[in-house]
Amino acid sequence: MEETATAGASQESFVRPYMITGGRTVGAAGEIPIETLVVAQRPRDGLNPDHASVVDLCSEPLSVAEIAVHIRQPLGVARVLVADLTASGHVEQYETAATEGAAIVRRLLDGIRSL
Amino acid sequence: MASVHSDPTAPRPVSAKIVVSGGFGVGKTTLVGTVSEIKPLRTEAAMTTVGIGVDDASQVETKTTTTVAMDFGKLTVEEGLVLYLFGTPGQDRFGFMWNDVADGALGAIVLVDTRRLDECYGAVDYFESRGMPFVVACNQFEGSPMHDLEEVRMALDVPANVPIFMTDARDHRQVQNSLLHLLEYVLVEMEKQEAAAAAAVPPPEPLFTKNQPVGTGVGEGVRF
Repeated sequence: MEETATAGASQESFVRPYMITGGRTVGAAGEIPIETLVVAQRPRDGLNPDHASVVDLCSEPLSVAEIAVHIRQPLGVARVLVADLTASGHVEQYETAATEGAAIVRRLLDGIRSL
Repeated sequence: MASVHSDPTAPRPVSAKIVVSGGFGVGKTTLVGTVSEIKPLRTEAAMTTVGIGVDDASQVETKTTTTVAMDFGKLTVEEGLVLYLFGTPGQDRFGFMWNDVADGALGAIVLVDTRRLDECYGAVDYFESRGMPFVVACNQFEGSPMHDLEEVRMALDVPANVPIFMTDARDHRQVQNSLLHLLEYVLVEMEKQEAAAAAAVPPPEPLFTKNQPVGTGVGEGVRF
């Protein structure tokens, strides 16, 4: 099964990322791990369409990587949007295993053994 | 938005990440798809390559950021605990850095085709240089000879404690076992590090040292 769903392949995505992010690239957003789960906290009212679409996607927790695929943009753009929405309180980011140590590995082992 | 996840008594969701790496066409996306609850997704990730320019007389290291396609899948291990599997693109260039994928990853599975062992050298070097725990999984291909795993270990020059095993990227049970092999190894390495860190903590400073002259300390300078 080598086929995958592809995103960001359209020609317009070549230009649009910089319009969406207002030319910003990384900063604090560059440090958001791509597996970070993001969940909506506030209604999308008043947001521009790009930010609003991320809030819509995150009605259930969704990773930054999945958000990038759904909005058909590179990871860097998804990170900037998530950073903006976190700063404005529209979404919250959950912790990743990187900060949780051995306890999370034990939970993963137990969980996968019982799948 | 009142989310179902705002229940304060529910444990906060947490996500983890592992890397699946190896040469081109070795079956990384197949392996990811075998255990993923979603069809593998493809996204674009930034990758930095460090090259020493052969055309460049100064031999200065040059860093180039390129964008590569990356496939990933998702496994909800239990309520609120999600494991992401990221397949890194096969690369034979020297000095690549899959930072987006590797930063914060628990560990890596290096998937190997024993007929083309050299194609995974780059991945092995990368994880060794980062100090990231990895295991070597030899993918079974039809018609591929059964290899002595110790021969593979010698050919790849990986330490004796690094697990090497056979797998079948198409088989759900075998891929689950590959994940378990990796996580068991990651746990052993983490516990080693935690023990080392605990041993390295200096003993608390005594309040007064033997050589400390009497009269220094709290009351010093106070004259009655």
